[in-house]
Order: sequence, then structure tokens, then C-alpha cells
Amino acid sequence: MIPPLFSSAVVFANIIALMAIACTLALTRTNVPNFTAATFGTIGIYISLTFIKLFGVGLYPSLFFCFCGGGIVGVVAYYLVVRPLRKRGATREELMIATLGLDIFLIALLNIYADYLTLTFKIRTREFMLRAYDFDVGGVDGVFIVSTTIFFAVLVALHLIFTKTRIGIAMKALGEDPSLTECQGVNTETLCTLTWFLVGALPATAGGFYPVYWISNPSVSLFLVVSVFASCVLGGFATIYDAAAGGYIIGLAQTLLISYMSKFFGSWILSYGFFVALLVMIITVFLFPQGLYGLPWNETVKKVRKIFRFREKPRGI
Amino acid sequence: MIPGIEFFVTLIVYILIFLIVTISYNMAYGYTGIPDFGRAMAAGAGGFLCGYLPGRLMAYVLGIQGDYLENSISIVDTTNAFLKGSPLMSIALLALTLFLAALAGGALGLLASLPMFRGIRLFYLGVTLLAIQIGFNTIFYYWRPLIGGPLGVTVPDPFRWLTNYSLFGIPSSSMRLVGVIITSGVVLLIVSYYCISVSRSPLGRLLKALRDDEKGTETLGRDVRKLYIEVMAVSYAFTGMAGALFAYYGGYVVGLHFDKVSWTFWPVAMVILGGLANYKGTIIGTVSFLTLRRLILFYKTELEFILPFSPVWLEDLVLGVILMLVLIYRPRGLFPEKPELTLSKENIRKIKEEEG
Repeated sequence: MIPPLFSSAVVFANIIALMAIACTLALTRTNVPNFTAATFGTIGIYISLTFIKLFGVGLYPSLFFCFCGGGIVGVVAYYLVVRPLRKRGATREELMIATLGLDIFLIALLNIYADYLTLTFKIRTREFMLRAYDFDVGGVDGVFIVSTTIFFAVLVALHLIFTKTRIGIAMKALGEDPSLTECQGVNTETLCTLTWFLVGALPATAGGFYPVYWISNPSVSLFLVVSVFASCVLGGFATIYDAAAGGYIIGLAQTLLISYMSKFFGSWILSYGFFVALLVMIITVFLFPQGLYGLPWNETVKKVRKIFRFREKPRGI
Repeated sequence: MIPGIEFFVTLIVYILIFLIVTISYNMAYGYTGIPDFGRAMAAGAGGFLCGYLPGRLMAYVLGIQGDYLENSISIVDTTNAFLKGSPLMSIALLALTLFLAALAGGALGLLASLPMFRGIRLFYLGVTLLAIQIGFNTIFYYWRPLIGGPLGVTVPDPFRWLTNYSLFGIPSSSMRLVGVIITSGVVLLIVSYYCISVSRSPLGRLLKALRDDEKGTETLGRDVRKLYIEVMAVSYAFTGMAGALFAYYGGYVVGLHFDKVSWTFWPVAMVILGGLANYKGTIIGTVSFLTLRRLILFYKTELEFILPFSPVWLEDLVLGVILMLVLIYRPRGLFPEKPELTLSKENIRKIKEEEG
């Protein structure tokens, strides 16, 4: 039996971490500060709702459609918005504003789609939850098991892709130097398309978990985006591991810390949940602007080794 | 249905107030290249100050006892009755609020740009400011002691005394709007004069250099962090005054006002459409976008029969599409930036003639 608070904290951390990974991928691989990460999550929420309510698909099978649907939206966004801008050599700030425009556009479309579902199919599309579609294993909510499994599976899969496969290594190279990568005969267009498929697919899959615990509506991303940015900033906008760690720290802190603090300060503090994320973001920017990625981990490991008197093995000649 | 005089008067008020925002934003983004997504926070600094201070101040001056937020409507009514008979006090209150709004906006601009001292990348600042701005509005929306939380608070009317008069056949009831227009116009003139002077001065060229090549500017011995911070503080101060004027115009403030779409994203779109570092473009961008927004609002009922979706979402759709299309197809805006001449064209011609 897992306490409900811990369960919801972990699920929230999984959602935020997946979105933060996607946001970091967009920046590090295609140089696009992506403001739509959280809104891709909302797209996942509505794909899941559609498949559950209209086609009778279960909550977890619908995640497959969230993944594919989100990925397709990501690729379309890449071809219609990001690619033309990259082609004309837009600055990072211009790309940022363009994704902001895309975000506003997508939220409006989601609202229109929600209205359409309500009017045509009489489905509740605002302030809804999908908790009834979850399962339970010995007192542990299904969403806890599935979201955690998917999060770690994604992390392991991405790790393997980026370290063991040619296409993954080429994607890393694309992030470092696109021109040089192209000179090596790599088709950067395919890599960008693939990256943006992931940029859309990962948050959309994460979004599929959201309505199980939290009330959802088309503008839910307006607050989620703060936690996602905070995770990326804490991670340092550098690697997927830092983004995942940042997402977990923010997700857990935002849920557990606020709940703990409400015992002392009263329930009013629950409205300020995302302030934890905001605070972490500000502290990160001021104290260690390069985030977790920029922290001297090698030095720390050395110090820990010294404390425990571990001796480094002599290297072979 | 053809829009009436009320539509145009409201449009003029909106244009004047938003021109203050866009011209000051143009200085930050157009000239200096700061992707500032916290502009709504600056407007909120002025607007929320209007909700917090003038009412309490007047209650203190008039010796009205009791909790301000609990009795805000009756206190503001009493204050307005007093202000109606006291033009000097009204003008003093307006001037003081505008000054303090500029101060609050400037202080916020200073705070918002402090991360620059840590040498963070510019887009980091954009991301951070957007998040901070959401937090800023949330505090004012939920924290009741400030401006009454979700209920909001009414604002005293420093233009009420104008309703005692009637000029050029304008009914006395509309005279407060004339007051809002004149005050906004004066503030706009001051802001425009300052911004245009800066843009034509060596400082303006330095800001452009900073925007085009930060490292290069630093190499030439300029303190780029200081420049960023100064621009942010001044630009936020101007926007703070616009926020205060808007609060006085509306007569009511709540945490939902000064939202990021209306006060950050729309001004960004206005400046980009017109053309960066270009005041003619900024003015045309602002006027055309505001007219479009007000027309959508005005023809909302008619649009409901034409559109296959609720017209409520039309504004956001238009905003999103325009932002993307302009950046893709016309990145330099309707009026692309021209080199700033250190001398007027006439002077240059004279010198040419003398030399020739």
C-alpha cells in the first residue's frame, strides 16, 4: 500500500520529468526553446479522453495513441513552424516567440475541440477526471505503476539510443554542430523530424496520466509550464538525465513540500503549489545558473571517495 | 451594425495606453534584444498599485476608519465624492500614483533583470520572466490583503472632477474619458520623446550594437549587464505607468487583469508586426492589432453565427497565427529597420553640397 500523497507526487514527477526531457531535447538537438512542451501534454489529455469516451479504448491502451498523436503534432509543428524559421536562420529568441505563438494557437484549438466534443457527443470536456478508468494492484494505483515504468523505460531507451545507436549519436552531433554533422553525410532533416516526433510524443504520453489524479481542462498547461521550465532550468537545459532529475526534484517538491507545509500554514498554501517550482527556478538562476549539469560532480565524487578512502584503481599501461 | 462613438473612444484609450507599452517594449526587445516575456508584470506593478494605494491613502487623508477591503466600495464612493469637488487633490493623486507606478515598475524591472548579473543566456531570462509573471499574477489573485483576492477592488477616480464641466458639446458624463485620453496622451508623449531621443543618440546605437553582437560590445569596453538592467528598469517604469492609467480607466482591479496574453504576447506581436527598432512600425502594429481585437469583441454576437466555433477563441487563434506567420514570412516586420542617421537628412545634404 502506497500513501496517496506519495503516489500522486511520483506521478506528477513522472509527468513533469517527461515534459522536461522533451523540452530539453528540443533545445539541445534543434536549438529551439520550446514553449509548447506542456501544451503537447494537454493534447495527450484530449487524445486520451477522445479514445476512452468515443472509441471505448482503455486508459492505458489510449497512451499508444497519445504517443503517436503527440508525435504527429510535433512533426507537423516542426514542418510548418520550426523548419521554415531554421531555414531562414532565425535567432533563438525568434524561435522562442514562434513557439509561443504556436502554444497560444494550440490552446485555442484545444478549447475549440473541447467545445466540439461537448456539443456533438455530450462529453464533459472541462473540469473532468479519468480516475474511474484506472486499475488497482494491492492498494497501489495503476497510474503509479504505469507512469513510473514508462518514465524509466523512456529514460533507458533514450540513453541506449543516444549512446549505442548511430542515429542517436548523430542526433547528439546535430545538437553540437549542425553544419559539421551535415558535412559528415548525415541527413539532418530526418534527425530533426525524429527529434520533434519525440518532442511531441513524450509530453503527450505524460499528459495521458494527468487526468487520473488531477482535474483537467484545455488550459491546464498554463500552470504546468512553470514546473516544466523550472525542471529544465534546474537541469541546466543540457542533458536528458539532468532534465529528468530536475523534473523529479520539482515534481516531488511541489507536491510533498506544499502538502507538508499546509499542516503548519493551513490549506490556503495549496493554491501556491507551483511557487515551489518558481522558487527553485529563481534560486537556480541566481546560485548555479548552469543547473545540475554545471555542478562539479567529478569533484564531489572525488571528495566522497576521499571520505570513504576508496582508492582509484591504477590504470592499465 | 456600425460601431458607434463609444467604440472609437474606447479604442483611442486602448491605443494610447498600449502605445506606451509597445514603445517601451520596443526599446527592450527591438533595440536591445531582450526577449522580455514579463511585460505584463510591469503593467501589473502599476495597475495593482492603483488598487492598493490610492484608496487607502485617501481613506487615511479623509480620516475614514475601518477595514479598507471590507468597505472598499463605500470608501471609494466617499473618496470619489470628495475628489469630484477637489481638482487639485485629484491631479495630485493622479501624479503621485503615476510616479509611484513608474517607480514600482522600474524596481520590478531592476529585480527582473538581476539574473543578468549571473551571466545567464538571454532566452533563460525570457523563460524565467514568463514563469515569474504567472506567479506575480497568482499572488495578486489569491492573496486577499493586497487587492481583495478573487473579488478585486474598486479604484478611486481622479478624473471625476471633470464631470463638473462640459467642453465642445461633450456631455459632462463623458468628460472623465477625455481626462483619461489627455493624461494617457501626455504620458505617451513623454515616453515617445524619451525613447525616440534615446534611439537617435549614441546610446541608441550602442543598444543596437549590443543586440547585434553582445560579445563584440563587451570587447569594446561596455558593461553590457549594466546596459541590460538600465534598459529593463526604464522600460518597465514606462509600462508601469500604462498599467496605472489602465486601472484608473477601468476603475476596478483584480489579479486576473494584466494577464500575459493581453499585456505580454499581444504587445510582442504588435512590435514584431510593425518592425523591430522602428517607431512607425510599432505605432502601426499597435493600432492595427488593437482595432482588430476591439472589432472581434464588438462583432462577437455576429461572428457566432458565421464561425463554426465560439468567437472567444478567435482572438487567440489570430494572435498565434500572426506571430508565426510574421516571424516566418516577414521577420523584419511591415517596416524594416533602417540605419539611424546621426544627422538629419537635410544636414547631410547641406554638408554634401558644401563639400561638392
